[in-house]
Parts: sequence; C-alpha cells; structure tokens
Amino acid sequence: MNTLQLEHISYLYSAGTPYEMRALDDVSLTIRGGTVTGLIGHTGSGKSTLVQLLNGLNRPTAGRVLIDGEDIWEKPKEIARLRYRVGLVMQYPEYQLFEETVRADIAYGPKNMGLSTEEIEARVLEAAEFAGISRDMLDQSPFDLSGGQKRRAAIAGIMAMRPEVLVLDEPAAGLDPQGREEILGGIRAYREKSGSTVIIVSHSMEDMARYCDELIVMANAKLLMQGSCEEIFSHPEELAAVGLDVPQITRVAELLRQRGLPLPESIYTVEQAAAALRQLMGGVGR
Amino acid sequence: MEPFIQVEQLNYAYDEDGGQRRRVLRDLSFSVERGEYVAILGHNGSGKSTLAKLLNLILTPDSGKIIIAGREITDPNLTEDELYEVRRRMGMVFQNPDNQLVATIVEEDVAFGPENLGVPSEEIRRRVDEALALVGMTKYAHHEPHRLSGGQKQRVAIAGIIAMLPDCIIFDESTAMLDPMGRRDVLRIMDNLNRERGITVLTITHYMNEAARADRVLVLNDGELYMQGTPAEIFSHPDRLAAIGLDVPQCTDLVHQLRDAGIAVEGDCLTPAQCADAICAACAASGITFAPPRT
Repeated sequence: MNTLQLEHISYLYSAGTPYEMRALDDVSLTIRGGTVTGLIGHTGSGKSTLVQLLNGLNRPTAGRVLIDGEDIWEKPKEIARLRYRVGLVMQYPEYQLFEETVRADIAYGPKNMGLSTEEIEARVLEAAEFAGISRDMLDQSPFDLSGGQKRRAAIAGIMAMRPEVLVLDEPAAGLDPQGREEILGGIRAYREKSGSTVIIVSHSMEDMARYCDELIVMANAKLLMQGSCEEIFSHPEELAAVGLDVPQITRVAELLRQRGLPLPESIYTVEQAAAALRQLMGGVGR
Repeated sequence: MEPFIQVEQLNYAYDEDGGQRRRVLRDLSFSVERGEYVAILGHNGSGKSTLAKLLNLILTPDSGKIIIAGREITDPNLTEDELYEVRRRMGMVFQNPDNQLVATIVEEDVAFGPENLGVPSEEIRRRVDEALALVGMTKYAHHEPHRLSGGQKQRVAIAGIIAMLPDCIIFDESTAMLDPMGRRDVLRIMDNLNRERGITVLTITHYMNEAARADRVLVLNDGELYMQGTPAEIFSHPDRLAAIGLDVPQCTDLVHQLRDAGIAVEGDCLTPAQCADAICAACAASGITFAPPRT
C-alpha cells in the first residue's frame, strides 16, 4: 500500500531553449509503502524536482510516476485530487500561512476536500496533536506564533488532509535541536498512526540517520544509491565524492576501526556506538 | 587592553500588535576580544539574531551600550559617517544567500560594497580579485550568481563582505541552508578568515559541532546570557543545555553516554579525532588491547 514507483523519469527545465537543463536523468526507483525514506543529495542534484513530481506539481518530460501501480498522469484533469493523496510540505512552509487563526489555516485543506464540519474539526485536532500544536494555539493568529510553531502549524495543515504519502522538503531547516526533534518526532508519529509513506528531504545526515528507514541518494540528476541507513552510510567515500557526508558518529566508529577496535560497520547513531563500545569496554573503570 | 566589542546592559523589545512590547534582550552584557572566534547558541527566539542586528546598528537598543574599538556606537551623537563605518567594520552574512546578492555578475556583486564606500576603481579591482580568491570563487567571477549552488552563493556573499575590509564578520546561521559540502566550504573559510587574517568571527548557529570550532561559546536563553566558556566547558553540561532545547555534538554525547555507563573516558572529545583518541586511551588504560590496524 502507498507504494511509489518512478519509471525512467527524466525532467527538463526550459526544454527546447538555450537554457535547457536536465534536472532528472532516467531515474527509476521504488519507495516501499509505510516507510520513512530520506532523500539526500547536493544542491542541484534534483531532489526538489523529484518531490514536485510526486504530487503532480511537475509533469515528467519522460517516464511514469505510479502510486500503487496507477499512473498519476493517467487522467491529467484529475491531477488536483492527487494532491490530497500526496501531501507536499515545501521548504519554509511557514511563509504560506495566511488565515486568521491557526485552526482555520489547518482546516483549509480538509475544507477544500469537501469534508463535513465535524470531520474537518476532528482532523484539525488530530493533525495539531501530531505537529505539537496545543489547543490554546489553535485560536491564535498564526502570525503571533514563534518560528518553530509556525512551521509546525504549516505541517499540520498538510497532515490534516491525511495524505497517504507525506513529502517534506527540509522540514527542520533553521530550527534549534529541540525544534528539530519535535518536528521529526511528530512526523514519525504521524507515520506510525496512519501507516502513510513519508519522504523527507534533508541536508542533515545526523537527522536522516535517526529518523529514516531507507535513504535515496541523488547526484547530478541521477539516482546514485538506495538502501537502508546502514548500507548508505557504509559508503563514506562515495558520499563525500558527491558533496555529502556521513553522520559525525559514523566517522568516530570508522576511526576506531582503523585503530583495531572490532566495531560493526553499521554504526550511524550515538546509541548504536555507545552500545557497541559498552560491550567492548564493559569492565573499564568500574 | 580594552576588548574589541563591549556590550553593557543591553535591552531590546519588539512592538507587538495591541501596543504590547516583547522583550527580546534583557540586560545582556559580554565582551569579545579582537581576533576572537565566538559562537552564539540559543533556541529559536532566544535573541541571537536581534543581537547580531544590534551589533551593526540595523537595530538600535532601547537601553544599554555597545562599544566597538573604543567608540560607543549607541551614542546618540554618532554621525552618519560613523554609522557607515560601523557597518563596514561589522560585516554580516545571513542565512539565505538569495537575499543578499544584488548584482547579475559575481564580480559586480562583490564590488557593490566597496563601490558604495567610494573606493577608487583600481583598488576595487584588487579587492574583488583578492576576496574571490580567498573564498575559492575566482573562476566564477563572470558567472551569474543565481546559477550557482547555495554554498557557492554564500561564498560570493562572504567575498562581498571581505571586499569592505571588515574587522569582524557576523555569520547569522550562514550554513543552515547548505548541503554538507557547502557547509564544509563555508566553515573552512570562516576558520581561515579568523586564523589567517585575524578577522573577529561571531557565528550564530544551531549546529553544535560548528560551535565546537570556536574559541568561546556564548549561550543565550530568553535574551539573557545563560552560559559562556570554551566549547569544552559548555559541552560538559549536556543537562543544562538540554533544559533550554540545545544539545551537544555527537562525539561529546557518545563520551557522556559511556561515562554514564561507568566507563572512564577522559578529555573533552569535541571532534571525531579527539573522541577516538580518548576511547583508545581508555582501552589502553584498562589493559584492553586489539589487533593492530589493518593496512
């Protein structure tokens, strides 16, 4: 369920002009339903173009986008309905808040879907909870909230449509550590509860390692790698070659292995590193 | 010797709807030495960016003093020439590179500052070339800024500041929007400007491992100075940081978790190399040995 497939996708900007630019070049991949998948890549690697294809904002120049086997461009006139199924939270979504109250802003999507008043209210409350928006914030103007709260309100507005696929472009950029954790934790909670597929674009390897099941690595308009965090972060040289990195903790583990410590190659969170070292060093200092 | 930047009892409040005032900085005092590299941490809304804007007079404080190189810039009799001199000396690089590039050609963008200062054209040429070389963007001199990557744009923005020969550069989350390579490049340039050229660097960041590179860290909480010290001192208090929504670099976190488990690992451990050294030393100290490294 909620499985996304890209088949030989290419996308050209300004096709047929001297400024023609190939943003995606024959990309084929499958995103398993119900996973949290991280999308990483250098600036200009094609990440944002790719996510805008998933909800039909961009139409591929070549290739097909399939949800549960169905081509999303089968009936081009119905593409707007797709946006309820695939919710896209763009970068800095807080700049798109516009209603008088947070409640009305979150309700905007469900209202457009033609849902009943009770259903809308239920969805607003549910989405607010995932996003960490408290009840008393709902009646405030979104413009009186802090930066992190505004971001969460905007994300709630998409969650309230209960999309089967939730796509977020840099949802935690510019936030402090606690703000990052609140947003990314809320997104995980949404996935647990709804079973939706979640795709997160981020430049923070540490955040990706903590919150994603699978990673897709884009480089120069092509798919470079796809796999579990463990598989992807065991290729530090390939990642560095395309302007990416591994989490800091993975580098510590690599340095320790070089000095002979028998650590597994699958360390990409601090908890994993601490557990492995406790096993090796257990008796030290006690 | 007197400090390069001296901030005394600084207060600032924003106007809100309904005539309310929201206090952002409360009796904030600190100083920065010439040539220091200082990181400023704090949760969103703690007053960091407001402070940055006060330091080059984009904003003026409600009360309190800011003294830069011996001159009180908050003096109501500050002349317009002196104001512009403050802005030249205290360069600023913002978060979003797209908001700070003004020209259609890279080298013209870098020349924009010195042109406005009335610098003679041969001198501008010299400064632009030097600034672009410093940030490694010489070969892009004739490119259009909007076609560059985020990291490249940010390097051009930094070159534009360098061309005004500042004493100090304030980086306000200048790496927040960059990919890992862009971030690495910008951090390396910040280090170089500070260590090779003696430029005072103030960097506002939410990335703890970036703060670990500084000489000193100031932590703001609700507009007040919450902690200050070397990165090693600051990051040895993970609980105090967590209480205000911050954390510590992953390396430091690992060592704290090991210590909590009763494993004695000594040292500061702010970087992967320090962390690996400390763990190997702890193993050696307790007689745990491993096979020699594979080569």
